[in-house]
Amino acid sequence: MALLMDHLISWMIAVPFLGIVILAFVRDEEWIRRIAFAITMVVFFLSLILWKNFDLDQKSMQFVERVEWMTTFNIQYAVGVDGISILLVILTAFLCPLCVLCSWTGIKTRLRAYLSLILLVEGAMIVVFTALDLFLFFMLWEVTMIPMYFMIILWGGPNRIAAGLKFVLYSLTGSLLLLVGILGVYLNGGHTYDLLVLSEQTYSSNTQFWLFLAFFMAFAIKMPMVPFHTWLPDAHSEAPTAGSVILAGVLLKMGGYGFLRFCLPMFPEASANFAPSILWLSVIAIIYGGYMALAQADLKKLVAYSSVSHMGFVTLGIFVFNSEGIQGAVLQMFNHGITTAALFIAVGLLYDRTHSRAISDYGGLHKPMPRFVALFFLFSVASFGLPGTCNFIGEFLVLVGTSYVSFVMVLISMGGIVLAASYMLWMLQRVALGEPRTEFAKVLPDLSNRELATLIPLAILVLCIGLYPGPLMEMMDASVIHLIQQTTGLQVGEVSQLQLGP
Amino acid sequence: MNIMSIYILIPFLPLLASLILFLGGRRWGENSHRIGIPAIGFSFVLSVAAFIEVLRNGPFTLSLYRLFQSGSLTIDLTLFVDQLTVLLLLLVTGVSAVVHVYSSRYMIGDSRYNRFFAVIALFTSSMIFLVMSGNLLMLLISWEVMGICSYLLISHAAERPSACREATKAFIVNSIADVGFSFGIILTFFTFGTLDIQTILAQAEGMQNHTINILGWAGLDLQIYPVALIPFFLFMGAMGKSAQMPFHVWLPGAMEAPTPVSALIHAATMVNAGPFLLVRVSPLISLSPYAMTFIFIIGASTAVFAGIVSLTQSDIKKILAYSTISQIGFMVMACGLGAFAVAIFHLLAHGCYKAFFFLSTGNSLQSVERDLKQGDHEPHVTEGMGVLYGGALLLALLPPFVLFSGSYEYLWGVTGFASASIGFKVIGLITVFVASQYLFKGVTSLFVHGPKTYWPASGQQGLESQSVRPQFLNGPILAVLFLTTVLAGGLLTLFWNWFANFLAPSLIFPKVTLAEGTVEQGFSFWLVVSLGMAVAGWVYAYSRQIRSQRQASRANERSNRLYVLFWNKGYFDEIYGAYVVTPTIQLAHWLWRIIDIKVIDCFIQSIAKYTLIFAGWLWRIMDIRIIDRFIQSIANYTVYFVGRLWRIVDVRWLDRKVEKVAEQVDGVQILREMESRTIQHQLIVMIFWLVAMTVLLYFSV
Repeated sequence: MALLMDHLISWMIAVPFLGIVILAFVRDEEWIRRIAFAITMVVFFLSLILWKNFDLDQKSMQFVERVEWMTTFNIQYAVGVDGISILLVILTAFLCPLCVLCSWTGIKTRLRAYLSLILLVEGAMIVVFTALDLFLFFMLWEVTMIPMYFMIILWGGPNRIAAGLKFVLYSLTGSLLLLVGILGVYLNGGHTYDLLVLSEQTYSSNTQFWLFLAFFMAFAIKMPMVPFHTWLPDAHSEAPTAGSVILAGVLLKMGGYGFLRFCLPMFPEASANFAPSILWLSVIAIIYGGYMALAQADLKKLVAYSSVSHMGFVTLGIFVFNSEGIQGAVLQMFNHGITTAALFIAVGLLYDRTHSRAISDYGGLHKPMPRFVALFFLFSVASFGLPGTCNFIGEFLVLVGTSYVSFVMVLISMGGIVLAASYMLWMLQRVALGEPRTEFAKVLPDLSNRELATLIPLAILVLCIGLYPGPLMEMMDASVIHLIQQTTGLQVGEVSQLQLGP
Repeated sequence: MNIMSIYILIPFLPLLASLILFLGGRRWGENSHRIGIPAIGFSFVLSVAAFIEVLRNGPFTLSLYRLFQSGSLTIDLTLFVDQLTVLLLLLVTGVSAVVHVYSSRYMIGDSRYNRFFAVIALFTSSMIFLVMSGNLLMLLISWEVMGICSYLLISHAAERPSACREATKAFIVNSIADVGFSFGIILTFFTFGTLDIQTILAQAEGMQNHTINILGWAGLDLQIYPVALIPFFLFMGAMGKSAQMPFHVWLPGAMEAPTPVSALIHAATMVNAGPFLLVRVSPLISLSPYAMTFIFIIGASTAVFAGIVSLTQSDIKKILAYSTISQIGFMVMACGLGAFAVAIFHLLAHGCYKAFFFLSTGNSLQSVERDLKQGDHEPHVTEGMGVLYGGALLLALLPPFVLFSGSYEYLWGVTGFASASIGFKVIGLITVFVASQYLFKGVTSLFVHGPKTYWPASGQQGLESQSVRPQFLNGPILAVLFLTTVLAGGLLTLFWNWFANFLAPSLIFPKVTLAEGTVEQGFSFWLVVSLGMAVAGWVYAYSRQIRSQRQASRANERSNRLYVLFWNKGYFDEIYGAYVVTPTIQLAHWLWRIIDIKVIDCFIQSIAKYTLIFAGWLWRIMDIRIIDRFIQSIANYTVYFVGRLWRIVDVRWLDRKVEKVAEQVDGVQILREMESRTIQHQLIVMIFWLVAMTVLLYFSV
C-alpha cells in the first residue's frame, strides 16, 4: 500500500503507459477493448483515492514527488496536485473510460492503435495537469498533440487531413510561443524549471509583459479564445467521437489551467494590465461563439462553437481575479468537460447509426429513440446553463465575479446565455421533435445498455453538481484563495472588493 | 428532528413522484397517475396543515442545505413559509391535485401518459419550491425549472411542428426576460451582499441612499441607486413569466399543450409567478416610485390590450389565453399601485376560476372533437357541458369573480393609494366591459360554430381504436371545483378584512383595523357599477352575436383597421419574427460566413498559402539561381584559374608520365582514351579543394 500511496500520481501516469505495452501483446479485439477499459477504470479509481486522501485545508501542493532528471539543466521529474489541478485530473480520469466505451463498436479499423492513442493521451494529460516542472510540462504538452493528430487523420471524417493539419499548425504555433516563454522564465528566474520556485520570483515589468504575452498566446490558442478559434470546429467535427470528447472535455482545459498555473501567479502585474482587454475578448467570445453556433447546420460544429462560447466564461472568470470568478471558472471548466463530452458522445451515437452529422437529416427522434432524446435533452439544457444543472453554478459564479468589475460585461454575457438557449432548443426542435425528415430517422434503434452506461454517469453528474456543487467548491477553495493572494497581493477579506481601474 | 420538518415534504413529494415516473419510463404506463395523485394530494393536505400552522404561530423557516460558498457569496437553501406562501401553496397544490385527477381520465390513451404525469409533477414541485424559497438563487432555479417544464408540456404533442415551435418560443421569450431577472439578482447580491430574501427586505430601507459606480471599468463615474434599479430588473423576469406586454407572445402559443396543462399554467403555476415575485419583494419594490409607475403602466396597458385582442379572436383557447394575460396584467397593475393584497386576492380568485373554466373547456372540446372524428359534421355538445358553461358564465358575473375588480374598488381604500384610484377605476371598468364580452363570445363560439381551429385536446391518436375510451366522469370533479370556487370566492370577499390582515405581515403595510377604514361590508357603489358594466358588456356581445349571424359578411368590420390590428394580436409575433428572430439568425449566418470563414480562416489560409509561395520562390531564386550558380561559378572560375596556372607550369612531363603509365598498364585503356586535358582539370580541382578545406579546417579549429 505504501508503494501505492507514496507514488499515487506516478502510478496514475504509469498505468496508462503500461497499458499501451500490455495492449501490444493482445490479439483478440474484444479483449483489447476490455483491457483498455479496465486500464482506464484503474486510473479512475486511483483518482478517486487521490480525491479521498486530498487535504481540503492545505493550500500548497500535495502528493508531491520529485526525482532529479537532467541535473545539468536543473530539470526534475516533479508532480503534485492542488485544489485546482485535482479537479482536472479527476475529470480526465473520469472521461477516458467513457471514451473507450463510446468507441466500442464505432471503430472498425486499427482498434489497438486507437485505444493505445487514448491511453497515451490520458497519461500525457495527467502529467500536464500535475507537472511541477516546466520542462516536463512542456514535453507532455507537446505529446498530447500527437495522438490527437493521428486520431483525426486516421479515423476522422471526410475532411480529416485538412482538419488535422490545421490543428497541428495552430498547436505548434502555440507551443513554440510556450517554449519561448518557458525559456524566458528559465533565464530570468534563476535557471530553474521548478514551478514553485519560479512562482515566488518577481520579474521586472518589461519581462513580465513579453513573457505574459508568449504564455498567453499559447494558452489562448489552446483555449481557444476568439480570434484563434478556427481550428476547433474543424478538428472537433472531423475527429472521431472519442477524439472530440478528449479534445473538448480535457484538452481545451489545458489552456485555462495554464492561465491559472502560470500567467496569474508568475506575472501578476502583466495580468492586471492585460485583464481589461482579455475580459472584453472573453465577452466577445461568449457572444460570437453563440452566434456561430446558431448558424451551424452540422451537429458537431454546433457543439464545437458552443464550446468557444463556454470557454469565454472561463477566461472571463479567471481574469476578474476574485474568488467567485476563479472558482466559477474552474467549475465551468469541469462542467463544460462533462456536458460537452456528453453532447459529443450523444452526437457520436447518432453518427454511428446514420453516418450523418447534418441536423436536417434528423427529426422526430423522440419516437424511435425516447431514451436517447431524454438524455440528449438533459445535456442540451445543461449546456446552456439551465439552473439546477451543473453549468449554471459555474456561469452564475463567473457573472457574480464579473459584476465586481463591470455590469456591462455581465449584461452582455447574459445575452450569450440567451443565444445558447436559442441554438440548443432550436437544434433540439429540429433533431428530437417533430416528424422524422428522412426514412432512416424513423427506424433508428434506441440506446443499448452499453450506450446507456456511457451516458448515465454523465447525466448523474450533471444533476448532482447542479444541485450540490459544495464538495467541488470546497476542494478548490484554499488553492483559489492562495492563487488570488499571489496574483493580487491582497488578503482574503479584501479580495472581493477588487475593482479594475482605468 | 423537528416536527416542522414534515413541511419539507410539500415540495419534495411531487418531486419524488416525478423522479420515480421519469426513471420508470414506460414501465408505469397507464398507472402513472397512481403515483402522481397521492403525492400531490398529500402535499395538499400538508399545505392545509401549514396554513393552520402559520395562522396559529406565524411564519417559519426550514433550512435545507448549503448549496455552496465562494468568496463572500454563500447560498443556503431555505424554505420560508409565511402568510403569502401558505395562500399560494393552497392554490398551487389544490389546483394541481384537481388537474392530476382530471388528467388521469383526460389523458387516457395518450402514448406519453407517464411522461405527462412526470412533467406535471415536476412542474408543480418547482412552483411549490418557488413560492417557498427563502433565497433568490433558489427562486431563480425553480423559476427556470418551471420554464423547462412548460417547454416539455407545450411540446407534449411532439409530432406537431407548431407545438414544438411554440415550445421553443415560450422558453426563449422567457429566457430573454430572465436575463433581466438574473441581472437583478446579481445586482441585489452586489448591493446587499446576500441573496436571502428576508435579510434583503429587512435591509432595503437602510440601503436607499447607497450608490454604486457602474462605469468604474471605463474610468467614468456614473453613480446609480441600486435599490431604485433592482425592482426594474426583477420585474423584467416577472414580465416574462407572467406574459406581460412585450413578452406576452408565448402564452397564446402555450395553448398547444394539452388542456389540463393550460389549466395548470394559467391557474396555478407559471403565470402566477410574476405577481407572486412582486408581492414577495414588495418592501423593496415600493421603495422605488419609478419602478412602481413602470409596473403600473405595463400592467395597465397589458390588461387593456389583451382584453381587446381577446375580443377579436374566434378560437376559445386563444380567447382564454388573452383573458389570462389581461387579468394577470390587472394583478400587476394592482402591484404597481401598491395594492399587493388586492393582487394576491385577485390571483387566488382568478386561479380557482380559470382552473374550472379550462377544465370544463377541455371537456367540451374533447366531446366536440370526438363528434367531429366520428364523422359528425354538426358538432353538438353533449353530456351536460352546456350546464357547466352556463355556470361559468354566471360565475363570471358573481361578485368575487367579476373578473376585473371594480368590485375590489371598495377593498381598495384600505391600502391608501386613493390618488391613483381614478386610473384604476377607468381601466378596471374597461376591462370588466371587455371581459364579459369575450367570455360570452368564447362560449357561444364553441357552442354555435364548434372549435374554429382544430385544437387537438391531448394529442391522442386514434380515439376509436383505443381500448379504453376517455370518459367524461370529470363532471363530479368539475362540480366540486365549481362549488369550491364559489365558496372560496364568497368567503374571501366576505372576510376581506381578515384576509388583508392575515397577509399584512408579508407586506410592508401595517395591519388594517376595521375602525380605521370607512369600509362597509357588502355591496358598494363601485361594485354595482362594475356589475352593471359587466351586464352591459354581456348584452352588447349578445346583440353583436345575433347581428353577426344575420349578416353573412363581416367585411365591414374587417375593413376597420383597428379591428384588423387587434385581430392580428397587435402584430407582435410578426414584428418579433421580422425584427428580432430573422435578423439574429441572419446575423449569425453573416458572422459565420464573413468573419469566421472569410476573414479569420482566410487569413490563416493565406498565411499558409503565402508561406508556400515564399518557399517556392526561395527555392527557385535563392537555392537554384543564387547559391547553385554561385557554387557552379566558383567551380568554373576555379577551373579557369587553375588552367591558367597550369599553362605557366610545364606539364608536359606529367603528360608524358601519364602516357607511359597508360602504355605500360593495359587496364587503363580508358585513361588513354580520355583527353589528357580533362584529367588535368579534374585533378587540379580536387587538389585545390583539398588544400582549401585543409586551410579552412586549420583556421576554424
